[in-house]
Amino acid sequence: MALVLWGLFGVDMNVWLDAFLRLQLIVIVMTVTVMALIYVERKFVGRIQMRLGPMRTGPYGTLQSVADAVKLLTKEDLRPATADFWLFELAPYVTFVPVFMTLLALPFMEDWGVRDLQLGLFYIVAVSGVTVIGYIMAGWASDNKYALLGAVRSAAQLISYEIPLILAVLAVSMVAGSLNLNDIILQQDTIPNALLQPLPFLILLTATLAELSRRPFDIPIGESEVVGGPWVEYSGIRWSIIFALTEYAGLWGMAVLGSLVFLGGWEFPFGTSGFWGDFDFLYQMALVFAKSSFLILTMMLISATFPRLRIDQLMAFCWKILLPFGFLQIVINGIVLMYLDSEVTRDIALFATSGALLVAMAYVTYLATRQPSREARVAAMVAARSIQ
Amino acid sequence: MIGVLKSLTATMGTFMRKPVTIQYPTEHRKVPERERAFPILLWDFNIDEPFCTGCHACERACPVECMTVTMRDNPLFAEGKSKRRKIIDEFYIDYGRCMRCNICVEVCNFDAIAMNNTWSGHELSTVDRKELILDLDQLLDLSKRKDLQAWDPAAETRASTEGRPQPPIAQVGATEDAPAAGEPLTVAERSAEEQDSPPTP
Ligand code: SF4
Ligand code: SF4
Repeated sequence: MALVLWGLFGVDMNVWLDAFLRLQLIVIVMTVTVMALIYVERKFVGRIQMRLGPMRTGPYGTLQSVADAVKLLTKEDLRPATADFWLFELAPYVTFVPVFMTLLALPFMEDWGVRDLQLGLFYIVAVSGVTVIGYIMAGWASDNKYALLGAVRSAAQLISYEIPLILAVLAVSMVAGSLNLNDIILQQDTIPNALLQPLPFLILLTATLAELSRRPFDIPIGESEVVGGPWVEYSGIRWSIIFALTEYAGLWGMAVLGSLVFLGGWEFPFGTSGFWGDFDFLYQMALVFAKSSFLILTMMLISATFPRLRIDQLMAFCWKILLPFGFLQIVINGIVLMYLDSEVTRDIALFATSGALLVAMAYVTYLATRQPSREARVAAMVAARSIQ
Repeated sequence: MIGVLKSLTATMGTFMRKPVTIQYPTEHRKVPERERAFPILLWDFNIDEPFCTGCHACERACPVECMTVTMRDNPLFAEGKSKRRKIIDEFYIDYGRCMRCNICVEVCNFDAIAMNNTWSGHELSTVDRKELILDLDQLLDLSKRKDLQAWDPAAETRASTEGRPQPPIAQVGATEDAPAAGEPLTVAERSAEEQDSPPTP
């Protein structure tokens, strides 16, 4: 094991073997992370609702995810008689593989990802968009009205929110001048991008919630409306692939991406040259872990706080608010980066414009969601009566 | 917009608070003293026999007819140890049918039956319905073990009414102007007494 790790962190190796080992490592880490995330979410949301969360399986319920995994793996894998065999059986993999592929391009430590891609950001955005095909496949193949409804909803939502997500990362890559994730991180050694670009950071958080179909954006899988959406008919291992792996691996992947691109990853507070010489990677890993945990907990808090949006609110928020402000940010970024040469003025200008846009966006949202006062509503009702 | 932040702080606030969950099978809430679970029979420690004389009053009054009572001559009466001429022979209550209405307790002239006010009256799940039909020994068991909670009306009044005037707490049938002098002790008083004094053999 030590030898394998050594190989992973520097020594030359056959390129295929190297890739294979790295993949294995990612798979193992991902599985453990997913189980841990499920446990953490249940505990966290439980505490928010003043419950205890799982307590009975293992000390403080720590083995709950393991027990659930065993249960899901041994459950019968049902398929409705009228389902489309190939589409139904393949849909879980089609949803999961893109999520897994995004993990391959993430540099978890300095120069350590499965692969360091020159267009890493572009690759991640491109690949994660494929997930929606799996949703539609599952919804269509299930031969179930709810599944189809959910699939159509998820198509609408995921494709809509893909665009603000792209705009957000695009704005950052403009600032960094690169699409390579390592470069973007290295460029944040003094100021993380979340400070330079608060608006894209917020857009990314929102769009991530929507991309992962988490509350308050869980319209495609809203169990009280479409009873689980595309996944109504799934059970056992296929359901666990879809639900546990896709959802939580996606959450993890997006949180790591956010922490790398916006919070400075392993670079920001102390710089790359750590204090531990050969064991710098540990400290870098801890830093990425802390930042992504912060993002994940923030998203869980948001999920636990807000009720589900209506679909028109969801679409309006994406197309009328996030999208225009995302474009505005890109245009302004272009102007700032074009005409301001000095680094200090450039950073100040970026921060000022993005902050101003953020405030403007908040104000527009406030105007759009404002309720008329009670007097106004009463007056309107009285007026309606008198017309009759 | 402000509401969004407010609600986030609200959820963070509840996150900081102590969870209200009680882990039930290992932890129990205290049952209220006047809790009515299922009826049980009481044991007279002074004479070492049940209070119940098998008078059938409860059996006749039970709305769901879930009790079966038979009576026999009391051997201790013949020996002069007891004042009860008759004593209970067999007593069955079908807890599967009982609806915990308290009527049997109210009609009993001998204060021989009471509602179980402990957790043992609630955790009664069995694999077979037949096991819910309890015989005399099982019905007397709780009282013999003295596990019934003593009911302290004064404490309860203090705790729950906050100074509001309360109807006098009295045994059914006892009027306000003819109070307890010379009357048999109420169930509550008796159980309180039994808690204090060891049974006389
Ligand atoms: S509590 Fe009511 S239903 Fe139960 S045995 Fe007594 S009289 Fe019958
Ligand atoms: S419990 Fe009371 S009412 Fe019922 S048979 Fe016994 S003495 Fe009579």
